[in-house]
Amino acid sequence: MTPPTPTGPAEPVGPADARHYMSDYFRLERWEIPPADGAEGFSEFGGRMPVDGHHRGAGGGLRTGALLTNLDSVGGFLSGLSVLPRWIVTTSLMATVTRLDHLGPLRVHGRVLRRGRNSVVAGLEVVDEGRGDALVAASTGTFAVLDPGEMNVAFDRPAVVPMPRPAPDPPPPEEFFRIQPGVGTTTRLELAEHLRNPWGILHGGAVAVLADVAACRALAQARGRDGGPDPSGTVAHLAAADTVLHYLRPARSGPVEARCRVLGGPTGRALVRVAVHDVGADDRLVALGSVVVLAV
Amino acid sequence: MAAGGYPPPGHFLGDLGFRTELLGDTSAMGRTRVTRFVAGADGGARAGVLATLVDVVGGLLGVRVLQPDWMATADLTLQLVRPAIGPFVEARADLVRRGRTTMVIEALIFNVEEDGTEVPDPEGASAPVAWSTTTFAVLPGGNRTASQDLPFGLPPRLDIGSAGLDQPVLDRLGISRLDAAGGRISLPVGPYVHNSIRGVQGGVMALLGDAAAAEALGAATGLGASGVVVTDLQVAYLTLGRAGPIVTRATVLDGGGGLGGEGGPDGGAAGSAVVELVDTGAGDRLTTVINARGMAAHAFGASRPSAPAGWPDGAPLPVAP
Repeated sequence: MTPPTPTGPAEPVGPADARHYMSDYFRLERWEIPPADGAEGFSEFGGRMPVDGHHRGAGGGLRTGALLTNLDSVGGFLSGLSVLPRWIVTTSLMATVTRLDHLGPLRVHGRVLRRGRNSVVAGLEVVDEGRGDALVAASTGTFAVLDPGEMNVAFDRPAVVPMPRPAPDPPPPEEFFRIQPGVGTTTRLELAEHLRNPWGILHGGAVAVLADVAACRALAQARGRDGGPDPSGTVAHLAAADTVLHYLRPARSGPVEARCRVLGGPTGRALVRVAVHDVGADDRLVALGSVVVLAV
Repeated sequence: MAAGGYPPPGHFLGDLGFRTELLGDTSAMGRTRVTRFVAGADGGARAGVLATLVDVVGGLLGVRVLQPDWMATADLTLQLVRPAIGPFVEARADLVRRGRTTMVIEALIFNVEEDGTEVPDPEGASAPVAWSTTTFAVLPGGNRTASQDLPFGLPPRLDIGSAGLDQPVLDRLGISRLDAAGGRISLPVGPYVHNSIRGVQGGVMALLGDAAAAEALGAATGLGASGVVVTDLQVAYLTLGRAGPIVTRATVLDGGGGLGGEGGPDGGAAGSAVVELVDTGAGDRLTTVINARGMAAHAFGASRPSAPAGWPDGAPLPVAP
């Protein structure tokens, strides 16, 4: 899982536009790990992300929505390269998160678990370099294989995307992702252009960040309503952890709403169901999942 | 009764026993009894048993929705929010997406009486005990490799049952422990656990992952498998297990000491693990990957003693020779 020394500039061929919006914001570095000489199989992939201050959540480390965005980016790149000249779109992400108090940077290692005719399954592990490579998350992503049409899927190989420099005045995730409170346990996202992926639809990472924010907000709302320990309804001591997301349909129109239902759980832990709707597209359900929210 | 010859007499699904019912074109329900033989450390049905229930109900719904196409389970998630102590548990499943290559089903699971009357939670409210999703890969009907007697013409209500279990389900499956700390347990493969295309039934694989995670997390925390409730399963099915034995191996991500500093056995968290299921009779082929989370039984709300003998009540699990 140690990154190789980059062999030279290997930015993707063509304009580096929508393919990097998310990874630029989270400053995700990625590198392809080709099979050993003569070996068969698919490339593995590495990734590294700092834990910048404005990305830290209530648990002290990288917010889970941000972590999932990076897992989606690494898993998607890895899976896409395994099916060239076709490409992929994320259909599900499942993550088990074991630490929230990262020191960082975090390092991801991904590999193809299965490549089928219609889908690719990738397994990803995340360690905290600041904590002696302690495992902090494990994830499985499933990606549907599609004809890329006009999308640019040409890359220098092995593919390397260097870590972007810090932005001078980076916005917090809620601002970058255009997330605002809705009514009750609903949270809204405005579908800004920079939140679209190369397919032109809402990036899966944006859905993950929305689910994180919405689930924490929903639990705070429920606690406040029930006169619980946080009657103010704030999210100051709540953090998202284990997450399941199924991307059911593309979100193209917006605004997008995450409608939450707190299902319950033992003390200090609540399971929140999150249904994401594209309000501007006949309110259709575009993603469904769950987020475990912890009191921290 | 079985539909179209599946499951056959003397099958795992029959021993668990299900009543299933189609509720229109996009919904279905399935109900099974919670006995001491399917209970985990909290006295409720094990996560792997509930995964079997939702796989069966989802499959039933899939037959209706997809015909003449067929399907195979691609992934399954299940998350417990409190013990599934019954006396019955009922999965209420709805279709959320039917695409060209995949179908996604969501299910909420409730404690119910035998007639389906909901058992309220301790606060008297209607609340599920678990949430689940299942993704099925759509297999074109023309390329179907399943037996010819598959039940396309399902009746709206179907009872799957036999005499039932007379021993803990893990014992009945013939599972043996190889190495608790490594989460290594072994499942023999035969008609008892076959699905309709003669691979190991998806629920059985989830149950095997549940048991392996309990072993590994129990060893890591010192609670023992009998003190750990596996509450969360994220199952990715990569390929069918066919030859067997299916052997598990687990990597413990944390022994409960991670999340927010609240963990450790005293804090209730038992940690999480990644469990891989390999088909040792097929060149150690990786068939399934499961991310699992556990809690200490006392913290999750252990409600009653579990089965009096065998797993998970402290009696020794048969150790493979």
